[in-house]
Amino acid sequence: MRAGRRTAEGPGTGEAPIRLYHVSKSYQAGAYALRDVTLEVGKGELVFLTGPSGAGKTSLLRLLFAAERPSEGQILVLGRHVGELRAAAVAALRRRVGVVFQDFKLLPRRTVEENVRLALDVAGTPPREARARAFEMLKQVGLQHRRHQHPLALSGGEQQRVAIARALVNEPEILLADEPTGNLDRDLTFEIMDLVASAATRGTTVLVATHDRSLLERYRRRTLRLEGGHLVQDLPAARPRA
Amino acid sequence: MTRLVARLGYFARTALRGLAASPIPSGVAVATIATTLLLVGALALLIGNMQGLLDRVADDLRVTAYLADGLSDAARATLIDRARELPGVESVTLVTKEEALRRFRAGAGGRSGLLEGLEENPLPASLELGLAAPARSAEGLRRTSAALAALPGVSQVASSQDWVDGYVRAVDLLRAVGAVLGGVLGLAALLIVANTIRLAVYARRDELEILALVGASRAVVGIPFLLEGALQGTAGGALALGLLYGLFRLSLPALGHELELVLGFAAPRFLPPLGMLALVGAGTALGLLGSLLSLVGGRPR
Repeated sequence: MRAGRRTAEGPGTGEAPIRLYHVSKSYQAGAYALRDVTLEVGKGELVFLTGPSGAGKTSLLRLLFAAERPSEGQILVLGRHVGELRAAAVAALRRRVGVVFQDFKLLPRRTVEENVRLALDVAGTPPREARARAFEMLKQVGLQHRRHQHPLALSGGEQQRVAIARALVNEPEILLADEPTGNLDRDLTFEIMDLVASAATRGTTVLVATHDRSLLERYRRRTLRLEGGHLVQDLPAARPRA
Repeated sequence: MTRLVARLGYFARTALRGLAASPIPSGVAVATIATTLLLVGALALLIGNMQGLLDRVADDLRVTAYLADGLSDAARATLIDRARELPGVESVTLVTKEEALRRFRAGAGGRSGLLEGLEENPLPASLELGLAAPARSAEGLRRTSAALAALPGVSQVASSQDWVDGYVRAVDLLRAVGAVLGGVLGLAALLIVANTIRLAVYARRDELEILALVGASRAVVGIPFLLEGALQGTAGGALALGLLYGLFRLSLPALGHELELVLGFAAPRFLPPLGMLALVGAGTALGLLGSLLSLVGGRPR
């Protein structure tokens, strides 16, 4: 484990957007989901968070978008102590952090465009601008032609592309993805992962929780391994295979 | 400014979408508020009309002091001066015995012959006192009557004090009944609206979770629900107003005689514009308060 590590690869400069210091999380006395985790993720890094089910991957991500507070230790996301944030500051932080889930978390009664616009609407973006940006984002994920349809009319891969578009539409500084390809077949997995990875090339810090070894093999990026709540391994990025 | 308009548009769209998504609970909330305000409005209408009659009667309130027979001209002039100086008295008119007889004849119609054959005019002279606006009340009548009765040369004082007293008591009683009924029904409506919105919050918990995930603040999540409550309340208030007006128009011919007993000969009037506005506003406030109540306790972090 490399505690206090700065950016591990090229794009990272300045203070790391994600920093954890001796973070533990327990939901009941003595039972820890995370135990004494210390790590940093630099700007523009694409990092995989891996480990078996119950290792603490989702707990770690939930701590990062302030859905939970740490039981011990300190978490700094974009320079803010997330354990001490008030509700308004949590909302403000989340507007700078995109989140993608395995189950997509789309609103079934709203159209694809409305789902993507959600992050802009709640931030008070004028409707015309929100529509234009949502359209542009949908074009990037190849779904502009389906913008007036509802999510349930879309395939799993398409729904996940909508979820990614929603997460990226307000150009977040951090993208967190919890098993984003867990429900998808092999071809779609790489297609979705390419979209997620492309965010890192534009300077977004990306943290992807997955237990899919094929992704680790294909992308060969820095990989954090959790087991039983402990950070047991922090493998640096390797050159992609030819 | 553009951002504010965008936000308002978002709140309005979300609130309307919320109402459309739960038409039955919303309808129940609107009907409850409408029923409550219809009853309160009907009471307000009755009280308003009774009060209106009281105000109209007050303009004509008079205290009559009957003068003792054989009062000298000088004593009568002194009495008139002293009556004029009483607090709350606006005017003093002397009605001589001859004038009293003339009025009796004019007012008695076919029965004017009742006084024929009497050797002298039995009707007493009197002073009619008109009251200044602040004294036109049961209390003003009581004070003026007592002060008049104490003046030398006054044999008897008459006023409509008993009638006014009873009428004021009836209006006060109705007002108290209205306040209690309005309070109880208002509370019931408040709880129903609160529970309706709470149900809506529960039904849309997935949506709220997603809104929270994309960075919606408490205000952005909460305001559409408040707006929903306010819209339900306003619709309830407007419905109550419409029903009240309809019932008012329909019941006037049927209840004409009964209303005449309560309101005298004054024609019943519908609520004034401010009253109508207050009824709809009360609905809005009920809905707003109900939804505020439902949101207490916050949402998931």
